[in-house]
Amino acid sequence: MNMQEDLKEYSDFLQKIRTFFNDQNVLEVQTPTLLNTPATDVYIDSLRVKLNQAIGLEQTQYLHTSPELEMKKLLAKGSGDIYQICSVFRDNEQGSHNTNEFTMLEYYRLGFDAHQLMDDMVRLLRALGVESQVTKLSYAQAFFEYGDIDILNTDFSALKVIAQKHSLTTDFEWIEDLQILLFTHLIEPKLQTLPLCFIFDYPASQSALANVEGKVAHRFELYMNGVEIANGYDELRHADEYKIVFDQEIAKRATLKKHTPDLNKDYLEAIQSSLPKCAGVAIGMSRLFSQINLK
Amino acid sequence: MANYSTSQFKNGLKLMLDGNPCSIISNEIRKPGKGQASNKVKFKDLITGKTLEKTFKSGESLEGADVMELDMQYLYNDGSEWSFMDPDTFDQYMINDSAMDDVRGYLVEQDMCIVTLWNDNPISVTPPNHVMLEVVDTDPGLKGDTAGTGGKPATMNTGIVVQVPLFISIGEKIKVDTRTNEYAGRS
Repeated sequence: MNMQEDLKEYSDFLQKIRTFFNDQNVLEVQTPTLLNTPATDVYIDSLRVKLNQAIGLEQTQYLHTSPELEMKKLLAKGSGDIYQICSVFRDNEQGSHNTNEFTMLEYYRLGFDAHQLMDDMVRLLRALGVESQVTKLSYAQAFFEYGDIDILNTDFSALKVIAQKHSLTTDFEWIEDLQILLFTHLIEPKLQTLPLCFIFDYPASQSALANVEGKVAHRFELYMNGVEIANGYDELRHADEYKIVFDQEIAKRATLKKHTPDLNKDYLEAIQSSLPKCAGVAIGMSRLFSQINLK
Repeated sequence: MANYSTSQFKNGLKLMLDGNPCSIISNEIRKPGKGQASNKVKFKDLITGKTLEKTFKSGESLEGADVMELDMQYLYNDGSEWSFMDPDTFDQYMINDSAMDDVRGYLVEQDMCIVTLWNDNPISVTPPNHVMLEVVDTDPGLKGDTAGTGGKPATMNTGIVVQVPLFISIGEKIKVDTRTNEYAGRS
C-alpha cells in the first residue's frame, strides 16, 4: 500500500469514530495539553516543559499524559456525554507497543456503568468493521483459567512464592505491582488467541480512579490479540474520593523516590459539585488501528 | 565488578545470575498502561550451557560477570586436565576433563580455540568451526562411489563418530564441522 492509501485509511477510521459519536449526540471536545500539575499515577511520568524563559516569565508546565482530569472538569460543569481524540505524552516509556507520544481516544457516557460502556465499545468496534467474537472475563476468572491462581484471595507473600516459581522478580513494595507483573507475563500471552477480550473487575488494590465494591474495582481493559487497547472505569464522583487516591499516589511516588507532584487542588475545586454518574474509557488509537488492520 | 541496570542490558552482556556467569541472549521490555515496566530476559548459563529466562522490574540491577573470551592454543591433555596457552602472554591454563564433554572430540593439538575465562579461570572451550581429523576405523568403502549417495559411520582419532561418504577409508584426514558434527570434505 502506498502512503496516500495509508493516510486515507486512517482518515476513514477517524471519520467513522466521529460519526459513531455524533450519531449518539456525544460531543467532541478539546481540552488543554499544557497543564500546571503533572499526573500523579505512580508509573506514568509527565514531560516537564520550561516556558517563556527568554522573555523573563519563566514557568514550568507539564504535557498531559491523558485528557482525563480536564474532561472530568467539563463533566462536573454539566457538559453531558463527551469524547476527545488527542495526542498525549508520557516520559520514560519503552517497549514494542510504547512511545513517548501517542494518540488517545477518551470518552465518557453519563449514567453508564462499566458493563454498559463495554457494550458501547463493542458497538464502536462493529462500526469500525471489527466482527470478531467478544470474550468477557473477570480478572479473577482470567487468573483462574490461565494461571491457576486465586488472585483475589492470595496475599502478597503467597503471590511472591508463585512469582518465584515462574522466574519473575518479587522485589516490589506493593501487592498490586506483583499482580500486574503476573498478569503481564502469565495471563497476557494466553490472551493472544482471543481477538477481542474484555477483562473486568480488577482487584481493589488496582482501583485507580474506579469505584470499588468489596474486593473488586469496577475497571476494565480491552485486549485485542493479547495487546492492551483500552482502559475503562466506572468513575469516582466526589472530590474527597479523588483526594484520597491522589494523596496515595503521591506518597507512593515519594517512596519510589520519583518526582512528587503537588496535590491537584484546581481539579478538586473544579469538581466540588461532584461528577455525574458516568463511565469513561481511554483507547490507544494506533494500537486499535493496527489491530483492526492486521495484515 | 560493576552492577548493570536493566536499562544497560544488551545482547552478549555477561552477568551473574544465581551464582553462575551468564550471557544475555534477548531482552524484551513490557510496560502496561498503569503498571511498572518489566524486562523479560533470556540468558545462557556459561557454566552449564543451559538457557534460562528471568523477569526483572525495570531499574533492577545485576552484578556483572568478569568473563573474557581469549584465543588460545590447545597444547595437550594428560587424561585428567587439558592444557591451553595464551599465545600473547604464554600463560598456560588447565581445564578439568569433566568440563570438556562437548568439545573433547574436536580438539587437535596446536589448534587455536576460544577459551572463556571467568574470574581468570577457564570455564569453557569453543573449538574452531572446522577441524582436520584422521579416520581410524570405518567399514571398507565401495569403489566408484561418490559423495551424497549415503554414508557410513567412521571413528576419528579423537574418539568421535562422524557420518562420512562411502569412499572414505582408514588413514584419511577429513574436515569436520564442529558445530554440526558433519563431514565437510577431504583434506
